[in-house]
Order: sequence, then structure tokens, then C-alpha cells
Amino acid sequence: MTMNELSASTRVAWAVCIRGMQRIRARPVLIIPTVIMPVVLVVSFSGSFSSLTRIDGYGTDNIYNWMAPYAALQGAVFAGIGGVGSVADDIENGFFDRLLLTPGSHSALLVGTVGYSALRAFLPTTAVLLISLLIGGLTIPGGLLGLITLYLAAASMAMVFCLTGLVIVYKLKSHRSLMLVQVLAFGALFISVGQVPLSFMQGWLHTAARLNPVSNVLELARQGFLGQVAWQTTWPGLVALAAMITVTGFFARRGLYRLTP
Amino acid sequence: MSSGLGGLRLAGTQTLALARRSLNNERRQLVSIMPGLVFPLMMAAVYSQQFGRALALPGFPEVDSFLSFILPGSIIQAVSFGGTTAGTELALDIENGFFDRLMASPVARVPILLGRLGGTAVVAAGKASFIVAVFLIFGVTIKGGIAGTVIIIATAALLVLAIGGLAQIMAIRTQSQEAVSATFPLIFVSIFMSSAFFPTALMSGWYQKLAENNPITWTIDPVRRLVIEGWSASDALQSLGVPAALAVITIMGAVRTLNTKLKAG
Repeated sequence: MTMNELSASTRVAWAVCIRGMQRIRARPVLIIPTVIMPVVLVVSFSGSFSSLTRIDGYGTDNIYNWMAPYAALQGAVFAGIGGVGSVADDIENGFFDRLLLTPGSHSALLVGTVGYSALRAFLPTTAVLLISLLIGGLTIPGGLLGLITLYLAAASMAMVFCLTGLVIVYKLKSHRSLMLVQVLAFGALFISVGQVPLSFMQGWLHTAARLNPVSNVLELARQGFLGQVAWQTTWPGLVALAAMITVTGFFARRGLYRLTP
Repeated sequence: MSSGLGGLRLAGTQTLALARRSLNNERRQLVSIMPGLVFPLMMAAVYSQQFGRALALPGFPEVDSFLSFILPGSIIQAVSFGGTTAGTELALDIENGFFDRLMASPVARVPILLGRLGGTAVVAAGKASFIVAVFLIFGVTIKGGIAGTVIIIATAALLVLAIGGLAQIMAIRTQSQEAVSATFPLIFVSIFMSSAFFPTALMSGWYQKLAENNPITWTIDPVRRLVIEGWSASDALQSLGVPAALAVITIMGAVRTLNTKLKAG
């Protein structure tokens, strides 16, 4: 790729990302469920399961410190899937065909959408943190590093599920097909260390949650809310994210190039 | 007197015919019933494996397993998934003009609403029976016996009538399927902010007060006692009474909203 081609691709990716952000500004209603849902979840989970902190080994005595990173990642994942919604709309109304005629690498369309989804993830993450601070007395013993690992995990999870959504949408070419990704996302987050530590789990759930890469990401995101940020908790999460982004990115890129006339 | 009885019989026949139509619609879209069965069963499967230690917490009711505890919550979650169908289908009838044709026909107004609700209540009873059967296979014992099981299934059907009535009010007011569907998250949240998944005795602060005063808790708690403690006439009465009262309120609200709408033209 020459410098000129790289520059053109960067401009296209940036334009796609900015177009997505402008879409939110034009129709804020699109982002409301993405922000409200994780806020409701953090309040519901923390309210319902607050007594779990009385059990030895839970890891914190404030349930919000446990649930806020989980709800933030849920919001981020759904923000990522929501980012694919604009692509699905473009495919359904034919605008995507015109985008495919733009100069430069088509991967720029992919990068722009993924960037937009990652940015969207900052909204629910911030909303969950603010509500948890206000009504739950959330603390961040890990300080700034703890916040950085949470935002990094949230943005990356939005990218993973945006790419997963793109794989499906490029294949099935409909907005409705995103339901499949939502089910997948719900399952991946649910069968993880989202609500309780691994040591609380039994039987098949213990095995499934241990093998689920989302558990590593949750531990990465949550560590700064339970104590100090440590490398031995950070690297498994980073490896899991890198692996998920690589695999889903590969299939999304392949799906995009198969769409190209 | 005889004309009154005849009118009642005619309304009954019309309600049955419209309920049959509603059931036929449900049968044609069996796939849409699946999330309502899969999600609660998945949640029950996960929760039973992760909340085992919580059973030892002081204040947690004495149960054989977490599955026994969560059965009522799973049933209510399952039936709530299709609860708004009576409203979305009414909104669809309004959108596509079928409702206007019904209004022009000699069908009374109440059967138009009750027919839809009857269909969803039958589906809810079917779903509740399925969930109970799955839990029984996985070793749950309903200590209230067959009578208790019947009450649990009837409670599920009544609760769907209450949710359906609310959805019909929304349908008549907004005439939009999308707006009616938007009420579902509210119902989902009210189930979560109740004793469906954890005892209210183990909650604290404002959230505990909210959960204790949630009509879903008033319905779930007596149903749960029928499952984990055994038969009790007062629990049976309470578990049927709360959703029945809610159903009467919401259905009357729907009838009133319809009449107001028709008067306004």
C-alpha cells in the first residue's frame, strides 16, 4: 500500500466514524437504550444480589464495585452491536453499495465502523460509573490505572462484538440478523464471572466460565475496582481481547470483501 | 332477562372466536415463543450453578436447591416475554385496518379485547406447564402437589391477562406496535426488582422497599411457598388474587380507553 492509498483509507475510515457519531447527534434516541440498559442492570443486579458480599471470597464488600464493571461491559457490548446497526441500514437501503465504490482499501469501512463502535462504548461505561458513584458509593482502589483498564476493556469488547455483528450482517444483509449477535453477546457475558467469582460456581458453569475468554476480560476490567491493577490479571485479558479481535476481524474482513462487486 | 343472557352468550361466543384467531396467530409464529422459554431456562441453569453458596445465607428460605427457589421467577419471566402480544397484535389490527372492520361488524367491544387476551393466556398456561415440566425433570419437587401446580399455572395465565391489558391500553393510545413493544423492558425491570431471583429479606435500603412493594413480589412469594413449603389455601388465594385484581384493573382500563377513543372518533 502506498502512502497515498494509506492516506485515502484513513480519510474514509475517519469519515465513516464521524458519520456514525453525527448519526447519534442527529438522533440521540438511538443511543438512549445503550446508556439506560446498563444503568438499569447495575442498579438491579446490585440491589438484588447485594448480600452476596457477605459470603467469604466474594472479593469486595461493596456490590457496586463488583457489578459496575460487568454492567459497563454489557453496555459496551451492546454499544458495539448498535454500531453495526448503521451498516445494516446502509446495506438495506443500498447506500453501502455506493460506499464500496469509494477509493482506497475497503477495510477502511470496517475500521471506521469499529472505531465508531469503540467510541460509543464510552457513553454507557461513563453512565454506569456515574450512577454507581452516586447511589452505590463505588470506589476505585486501583485509581487512574483501574479506570484506564475498564475503558480499554469496554472499548475493545465493543470492537469484538461490532466485528461479530459485521460478520453476520455482511452475510445475512439485514438489520434483523443482529438479534443473533445479541443472543450471542448475552450468552457470552452471562456464562462468565459477571455476577460471582469463579470459586462460587459449580459443575458445568465453572468449566464454561473458566474457558470463556470474556471472564479474562472481566477480570481485567474489574481489577481496579477490587484492588490494585496487577500485570498477572492484566495480560490474560489483553491476550483474550487480542485473540477475539483478530478472529472476528479476519472473518469480518473476509465477509466485506465477498460483498465487493 | 333472557335478552341479557342471550347477549352474554353472544359475547362469549365472539370472545371464543377471537381467542381462537389469536391462538392461530400464535401457532403460526411458534419461533417467537422460543426466547420466552430459552432465556428463563438459561438463567435458571446459570443461577442454580452460581448461587449455591447463597442458600446458606441467614434469611434465605429453606429450599432443597436454588432451582426450587427460582421456579416461580422463571415462570413469570417466561410468560412475560409474550405478555405484550395481546397489545402488539391489537396495534397491528389497528395499523392494517382490521380493527376498523371489526368495529363496523356487529361484534361487541369487550370481546375484541378479551379474545386477544384469552389467546395469550392460553399460551402462557402452556409455557408455564413446559417450564414446570423441565424443572420437575431436573429434580424440583412442588410440595403443594397437583393442586399447587394448577394454581401456579393459573397464576401465570392471570398475570399475562394483567400485562396484556396494560399493553392493550398502550396499543389503543399509540396505535403503534413499536410503542407497545417498548413496554416490555419495563416489565422485565419490574420482574428483576422483585423477589423473582433473590429473597427480598436479603436486599437492603430503598431497593428492598421497592422490591417488597412490587406486585410481582406479592404474586411470586405465595407461589414460591406453594413450591417449597406445601399447600396452603391462603397462599393459593393470594397467588391468584393479586394478578386477578391487576388483570381486572388493566382490562377495565383498556375497555375505558377504547370507549374514550371511539367517542373521540
